[in-house]
Amino acid sequence: MNSSPSIDQMLAGVILSIDDEILPALSNPKAQATAQMMQSLIQAVRQMLPVFEERIVNEHNDRIRMFRDTAAAIGEATGPAADRVRERAATLGTWAELHAPNDANAIIAAHTELGRAIEATFLDLDELQRAGVTSADEAVQVVRAHLGPIYLGDAQTMTVGEGMLGRG
Amino acid sequence: MSGQLEQQVALILKGLSPEADHIEILDFGPIPGGFSRETFSFDAVIHISGSQERHPLILRKDPPESVAILETSRAVEHDLIEAVRRHTQIPVSESLGYEMDRSVLGEAAMILRRAAGNPLTSDLFHDGPDIEQVDDVVRHLCESLVELHQTDISMLNPDGELDDPRHVGIDASSWDRYMDTTFEYYLDHYSKINHDPMLCVVLDTFLTLRRNKPRPLPLSVIHGDFNPANFLYADGKVTALIDWENARVGDPREDLGWMMMMDDLSNTKIMHHPADEGGFLAYYNKLTGYEITEQELGYFILFGTGNIAVPINAAIKRRVDGENRELLHLYLVQSSTAALPGICGLLQYPGIPA
Repeated sequence: MNSSPSIDQMLAGVILSIDDEILPALSNPKAQATAQMMQSLIQAVRQMLPVFEERIVNEHNDRIRMFRDTAAAIGEATGPAADRVRERAATLGTWAELHAPNDANAIIAAHTELGRAIEATFLDLDELQRAGVTSADEAVQVVRAHLGPIYLGDAQTMTVGEGMLGRG
Repeated sequence: MSGQLEQQVALILKGLSPEADHIEILDFGPIPGGFSRETFSFDAVIHISGSQERHPLILRKDPPESVAILETSRAVEHDLIEAVRRHTQIPVSESLGYEMDRSVLGEAAMILRRAAGNPLTSDLFHDGPDIEQVDDVVRHLCESLVELHQTDISMLNPDGELDDPRHVGIDASSWDRYMDTTFEYYLDHYSKINHDPMLCVVLDTFLTLRRNKPRPLPLSVIHGDFNPANFLYADGKVTALIDWENARVGDPREDLGWMMMMDDLSNTKIMHHPADEGGFLAYYNKLTGYEITEQELGYFILFGTGNIAVPINAAIKRRVDGENRELLHLYLVQSSTAALPGICGLLQYPGIPA
């Protein structure tokens, strides 16, 4: 998947363009407020994205521990309510913890490094093909077979259907 | 700003019509659409010795240099349009003049007559209101393209400005040199456009094109953006071919390939007409004797894609590198991503439909 421009760069670009192109053209106070709320929401998404997965996993794992600790804290209390708290500790409190997510920046860096190596591979295979090495034709198709579904998936993920701007 | 722009336009027109006593600019407003130029529609009322003439006109203005995607010259575009008007029957709107001094209108600009006719060419297709005109209009469109491609290059390009209008090292002295130097341009510029390694399909395209050169055809002046949105029509005739900014000396199959691709993307049916001639390509072949195949057009779709992919992705890379704040350059990632499976299909990527 395309990682440059990054998701953060695209969102920051929208905020900047609201500043540069939209707000100066708005005279209606409600429209101005709406544009500023859009900026605020987009900025919130920018701040949530880098930490979202890690926060959810940490909260989930801590929540499991919390159910066990809550049951321990009520001690010898009796009655249906106490039983329900202990029941949660015995069920939800024994769930397996989720794995910590990988560092998104590290993933993108590794993905980019292999991508640059694909570029170099195309250049090397082209050199072989132009030298008459016929097996290089098959090798190019191996690379293409890896890439083709990625481009299809990217197009399906990023295309938003009718209403796109511009006529090219 | 638009008030200043109108005043400056009036001054330019006064320079073009020195006999005018006074020039009024009316109904000045932007025309939406297109990303390469800012276009404005207006009427100029020219007062001379007590009489007045009203002229429907267009102002085509460059975007700021820092955010420009296609760096083309309004002077070259003006000269070509006027050469086409002088030496051919191809319908084009008169270009009245240009101003390359950026201090006058903010950026370089040109003023053209506003063409008569319907710009909504989709009205010709799919039960549109002008469906009965489609064969006649597309026949004329094809004949106009053939005339462009068969007009002596020296007539339309006397100063050689269209040999290498982007000044990137293209040598149009022969078909082979044109193709080879274009491949060099594409490949040399890859490092300036690969904002992401997923663009390697474009590299694959350039290398594949270079390995598989087709048969030569005579070079000609080509329109360079021959697509279903770039003409107007009325009464069964094309009234104007528009947007000549990407014109250059090239292979005539580039215009045909670009039209074939854009016809498909636009859901128009230009290539299916004139029906009585077996479609656009068959009629073009009948008029030229070139016997161009659809397979050749597939090659030139990729070739033409390279021509536009280089400046577009260079613009995206400049934006990613923080050289400007243009949202459009980020938006282009979305539209170019949608085009990549089509390129994969033409390159016969396994599992991707052609």
